Amino acid sequence: MIRPRAVVLSGDGINCSNETAFALEQAGFEAVISHTSELLSKPKQLMKSELLALPGGFSFGDEIASGKVLAVKIRHRMLEVLHSYIEKGSLVLGICNGFQTLVQLGLLPNSEEGSESIVSLTHNSGGRFINRWVEMTVNADSATSTNSPFFKGLTKISLPIRHGEGRIQVRPDAKDSDIAVVKERAALNYNEDVNGSFERIAALTNGKGNVLGLMPHPEAYIRHSQHPAFQSIKRQNSSSDSLENTLFENPPDGLTILKNAHASLS
Amino acid sequence: MPIKIAVLVSGRGSNLEAILAAIEKKELEAEIAVVLSNNPDSYALKIAKKQNIPTVSVDHRGISRKEHEKQVLQKLKKFAPDYLVLAGYMRILSGDFLTHFKDDNGLYRVINIHPSLLPAFPGKSAYEDAFNYGVKISGITVHLVDEQVDHGPILAQSVFERKNGDTLETFQARGLELEHKLFPQVLAQLANSSLAAMTNLNKENQKETAGTKISTSNEHNEGLCVAIVPKAAAAGSKLTSLALPLYWLSGKNLEQTKKLMAALKEILADQLLEDVWCVVANERSSWLSQWREQGFKWFAERQYLPGVTDNLARTVEEAIKLSGLETVGKETTVEGHIKVASGSAYLFDDSFNIKQVENHCRYRHYHPVTDKFRIHDLTAPQLSKLLEFPQVHLPGTPEPEVVALNLSDTELENLSRKRTLALNLTEMQAIRAYFEQASVVEERAQYGLGQWPTDVELEVIAQTWSEHCKHKIFNAIIHEKSAHVKAVQTLTMSMAGTSATKPARKTEARTITSLYKSYVQASTKKLAEKRTDLLSVFVDNAGVIKWNDDWGICFKVETHNSPSALEPYGGALTGILGVNRDILGTGLGAKPICNTDVFCFAYPSEDLVNRPTMLPAESIIQGVRKGVQDGGNKSGIPTVNGAVYFHPGYRAKPLVFCGTGGLLPLSVDGKCGYEKHTQNGDAIIMVGGRVGKDGIHGATFSSEALNVDSPVSAVQIGDPFTQKRVTDFILEARDLGLISGITDNGAGGLSSSVGEMAQITGGATLEVDHIPLKYPGLADYEIVISESQERMTLSSTKIEDLKELAEKHSVELTVVGKFDDKGFFRITRADKTIALLDLKFLHDGAPRLELEAHWQAPVTIDEVEQPPKSLGEALLALLGHANICSREPVIRQYDHEVQGGSVVKPLMGPEQTAPCDAAVIQPLLNEPAGLAVSNGMCPQLSDFDSHLMAICAVDEAVRNAVCVGADPNSLALLDNFCWPDPVASKSNPDGKRKLAQLVQACEGLYEAVLAYNAPLISGKDSMKNDFDDGTVRISIPPTLLVSAIGKVPDIERVVTMDFKSVGDHIFVVSAGALGLAATTYAGNMNWTSSLLPELNLEQAALLYQTIFSAMQNNLIESCHDLSEGGLAVAVSECIIGSNLGAELNAEAVVAAAENGARFHDLLRERMDVALFAEGPARLLVSVSPANLEAWLALWPEQKDLASDSKISLVEIGKVTASGLKLIDKTRKGELIELDNAKLKQAWQATLPFEEDFK
Repeated sequence: MIRPRAVVLSGDGINCSNETAFALEQAGFEAVISHTSELLSKPKQLMKSELLALPGGFSFGDEIASGKVLAVKIRHRMLEVLHSYIEKGSLVLGICNGFQTLVQLGLLPNSEEGSESIVSLTHNSGGRFINRWVEMTVNADSATSTNSPFFKGLTKISLPIRHGEGRIQVRPDAKDSDIAVVKERAALNYNEDVNGSFERIAALTNGKGNVLGLMPHPEAYIRHSQHPAFQSIKRQNSSSDSLENTLFENPPDGLTILKNAHASLS
Repeated sequence: MPIKIAVLVSGRGSNLEAILAAIEKKELEAEIAVVLSNNPDSYALKIAKKQNIPTVSVDHRGISRKEHEKQVLQKLKKFAPDYLVLAGYMRILSGDFLTHFKDDNGLYRVINIHPSLLPAFPGKSAYEDAFNYGVKISGITVHLVDEQVDHGPILAQSVFERKNGDTLETFQARGLELEHKLFPQVLAQLANSSLAAMTNLNKENQKETAGTKISTSNEHNEGLCVAIVPKAAAAGSKLTSLALPLYWLSGKNLEQTKKLMAALKEILADQLLEDVWCVVANERSSWLSQWREQGFKWFAERQYLPGVTDNLARTVEEAIKLSGLETVGKETTVEGHIKVASGSAYLFDDSFNIKQVENHCRYRHYHPVTDKFRIHDLTAPQLSKLLEFPQVHLPGTPEPEVVALNLSDTELENLSRKRTLALNLTEMQAIRAYFEQASVVEERAQYGLGQWPTDVELEVIAQTWSEHCKHKIFNAIIHEKSAHVKAVQTLTMSMAGTSATKPARKTEARTITSLYKSYVQASTKKLAEKRTDLLSVFVDNAGVIKWNDDWGICFKVETHNSPSALEPYGGALTGILGVNRDILGTGLGAKPICNTDVFCFAYPSEDLVNRPTMLPAESIIQGVRKGVQDGGNKSGIPTVNGAVYFHPGYRAKPLVFCGTGGLLPLSVDGKCGYEKHTQNGDAIIMVGGRVGKDGIHGATFSSEALNVDSPVSAVQIGDPFTQKRVTDFILEARDLGLISGITDNGAGGLSSSVGEMAQITGGATLEVDHIPLKYPGLADYEIVISESQERMTLSSTKIEDLKELAEKHSVELTVVGKFDDKGFFRITRADKTIALLDLKFLHDGAPRLELEAHWQAPVTIDEVEQPPKSLGEALLALLGHANICSREPVIRQYDHEVQGGSVVKPLMGPEQTAPCDAAVIQPLLNEPAGLAVSNGMCPQLSDFDSHLMAICAVDEAVRNAVCVGADPNSLALLDNFCWPDPVASKSNPDGKRKLAQLVQACEGLYEAVLAYNAPLISGKDSMKNDFDDGTVRISIPPTLLVSAIGKVPDIERVVTMDFKSVGDHIFVVSAGALGLAATTYAGNMNWTSSLLPELNLEQAALLYQTIFSAMQNNLIESCHDLSEGGLAVAVSECIIGSNLGAELNAEAVVAAAENGARFHDLLRERMDVALFAEGPARLLVSVSPANLEAWLALWPEQKDLASDSKISLVEIGKVTASGLKLIDKTRKGELIELDNAKLKQAWQATLPFEEDFK
């Protein structure tokens, strides 16, 4: 089996590198954890990989704004490389703080060089950090589903969110065309309003679909026993012939997302 | 903004090439609109053509200067350049010509480069002139052109040396190289600024660029002030109050660079939603008038007090560096380092008066011990003084002072108090005796020290001997008087005829040599024979048990009570970071994998005591919650489990228990991972934060009661981000085999960490002059004992490798001394000895305390009235009780899933509302074994019977772990004693009773630990949890927290507490008797009772074993422990957690309650007691019909209820689709009928964790 290489960023307060690398390995990648100072000093190393993961965490302590300072660090050292990486069609996956960083870098929902930022990720409308599992719907009738490899075959998914700044806000002076772009490139929408996000958006892709930023954590759902209702679903399914709850019929959603990424590369 | 330039050139155009190269490399944002030459053959024109840059040639030969200038002007006009750049243009420009390029400030937009340090050597042959003159130094000048030749405002100069053996050619070549560097740089600066700013002439005018307000000033070094303003607010929307981030910047000539403004915009603001306002710090009048126009009356500003950790500011400073602002190539664009301070601005309209503003902000937006806060009236004719950049001003570095100890007893005691040494007279006398020894005097003389100790030595001894570090009370000799432990009684009063009394237990007079050795350590020693997994107990920063062949698990719980009482946010944050460092400093370095936190607070209410020096109860609660949130979340450690407990006794001193589990490799680079391998000759290395005044006297301070003089320097704010970097660094260094030993800097700072590690090799020398400081001016003793956060102490010989790794992780690392075997803890400054302490004396020289204990049983009048009219209402009241209701608002704000190992979360089930008894995580993602983490605590019983209290605490921790599937034979425990001062004194008259309670608790702990085969592997005590301001003394209830870890063999087999399916059988299993004393129910009913619960430890252990095997055989669907609120609350929680229901049989509920048969008849009359009474060793289990037979077969003797010593198993009802029903079949009625919504609504009551809590 081909094991495409995934670079997983670490250091500077990024917290989820280990489990993200582990999840990518489970999905079939060869995951290499790379400290920001290593990668940024030799940005071209990135070109040898096929997926870049910016994991969750609290880069630079979340001071000023989530992802802000990591974006400054990347912008001044490897933005060009990142642009050509995206240009050549490699995958970029920003999870939670990684998503915030991608937005701060102006890579979502438009990843083209020089494109203007049209969205921000700001404090949740409730003003609080939230860790809970949420249900989301894959935005089926958009370019996202056709262009993005990540959500193939998925319609509804369940993943945990763990963030204080996950609310998508569109710039106040946005043109109708910008708003259309944001809606079009929304990959996931929360089934319920959890943080005041515009259109209940939980994830964004770029036009080509190879850059994905999402607030929920796919790496936190790669085994069924990570699900909070694991025990009750297992019981329901064991006590009837047909699966009452189809949740466990397929691999866990987080793993599926990463496997999809892997499948698109092989 | 890119600038548009026209390059005028006569010669070969090497400067043009340099400019082009800079543009190419994006170092210069400029467009060359045209290249013009007076020489049609200029090579520069060819260069330009090659690059497709328009070229113009205007030959000067044969025409007048005026005519030539006219033609040049005409040609240039259509290109409309921002600037003319003279790159070797050998024509003098007239004033008439220049006028066409005049800007608003009267400056000509024409820039020249001249190869000398103007005003020296103007003219065509500057290199030659300078060389021939014999200068040792020459240079390059870039300047604005004016009417005179080689004259005008200088933009930049750069120097180069004339070297020995230089010829004119080599001299000139060196200069040219510099020209090619300097010219593009100056242009780049110009592109990011303006002429006015660069020449510093535009002093008053404000220049606006989109979204950025810049004002400049003729004042140079006073710094800038920056506000981040939401775009909507800038547009003037109507608001009654507004909060804005505020920054102060200090550095040289900050206002001169437009590039700084661009960087600040990038770094500080959301470009879509916020604007950056930036002015010279004390010229904020433009802001104030804007705010006034927006209708605000009050402008309040907050910043940290000088020296207080400002994480936001440190990050901004780093971001400024990352943005490339401070360095371009090797030249700095901003001179030196930009210092930042962060703060906030708050604006209020005139619906607030000044007092309301103050009340609103105090403790919510600022805390007096960490912040400076000022309110300004925007409508006042003269504005009060605005806050300036906070700077630490220390009067200079004090020399170490010699403290003579030939003093009277009173003087010795005064000395201890004056210096916050927290040493008693005997200890002071012991210190004096040490320094009086002839051999000591002689040794000291050899190192140039006099007889009496320096303040450094005295402070090091005080830290090492502090209660916090030495656990003096647990090691004291205790004389206990004989006493009767109060008789246990059953219910009386309204329950006539059912009274029964058990004989009183009597304790004999005795002497205990050490509570620690006799009970805590002794129980573990006994168990160690069968528990071969105990790898390291009581010796390191945390206990270590074996997990598998490659890994160990370590566990530690600490308290941070006193700091949390003073400044709750910082206190709790440093608490969690501190215990994480304990794990990091265990063995050769363990990775923190989970946090567990237990908080004890007073519930805010008007009945609580309030004293001027006490913080409001809700501000303590909110601060602690937030501190733990930042500590856990930002560290990337899941907060998997915890508890919040309310009792008025915690009004003055909250208890903040912070616990961490860790993963430790058993072998590191071929060496044992759970031991230290520090060798003689290894360097002492300090890693992490710098040393400041923060946290001085933390160890001795926590060993004293809080009073008005409690030192505020004990307050610290942690920096989780720096610690995360340190953690990443340490773990990588460990795996590379670069660390031979490690410990954390906690209480007592370096004096403790180095002093302790010195015992490994038998000596150490600490070089205090090498320790990096946050700011100058600290006394040496302060440097040594400071508890500044985020620091680890390592030993190693591989210093260069460590340094390289530290750089990768952006971690500061300094060699601060050497371990040796000379027998001393020696401290030097510039090779001069300032402290020399015999290690044996330092660690074993403290005299043992001798204390007295005497138990006096409390007198409790039993007052238990008639049962409530509605059992349902009583249940709802219990569900909403502060000690029972949902902890969801707290839980959701703590990341409990990071690291990917989450299995049993704090809230589980289909609706994520099932409150789990313990957490389970998967420490190794590729192995199925799970780690269960739980806690137990019953302080409400302490005043009745602290022996029972300790047993119940152990039982609760064990029970909770068993509920989720932990193997009871794999459990390891921690003890955490938080006690009111048990040393009798004038101000503490009942000290003897409190000490007797401590003795009883230790006995109970010992018995339970042995019975459950659950050894203690580490522990901690905090012995002075009293508040005393001379008027009021408040002591906490004696509190023992027992924390447990255990192994779940397979995470697929964990059990959660929510019901799983309709029709499942619900059982109560128990091995003890219920009680009413200090129950939540009795409290709710305003009853007092002395009826205590009981348990049979042996039977309870057997019960847990049986539950575990049932779980291993998949026989159990749900398992929940019965705790506060008793059976009815437990069933309700299982219903809420599953959104299913339960139908209970009243007869069976009574049967389940009467284990022990103490009040068999009574219970038939008192269904309320059966439902709500509390007792240890009780579990609620649901079993599917398919497994019923196998389940019952596990309990052969369950039906024999007659005897006290049996496990009771009673089926009390069945799981239904919805609602709680309690049916009395004999009376044919429903005693309780409640729907799920009602139960849930009652349980999801509000807790005082939010700012809007009323």
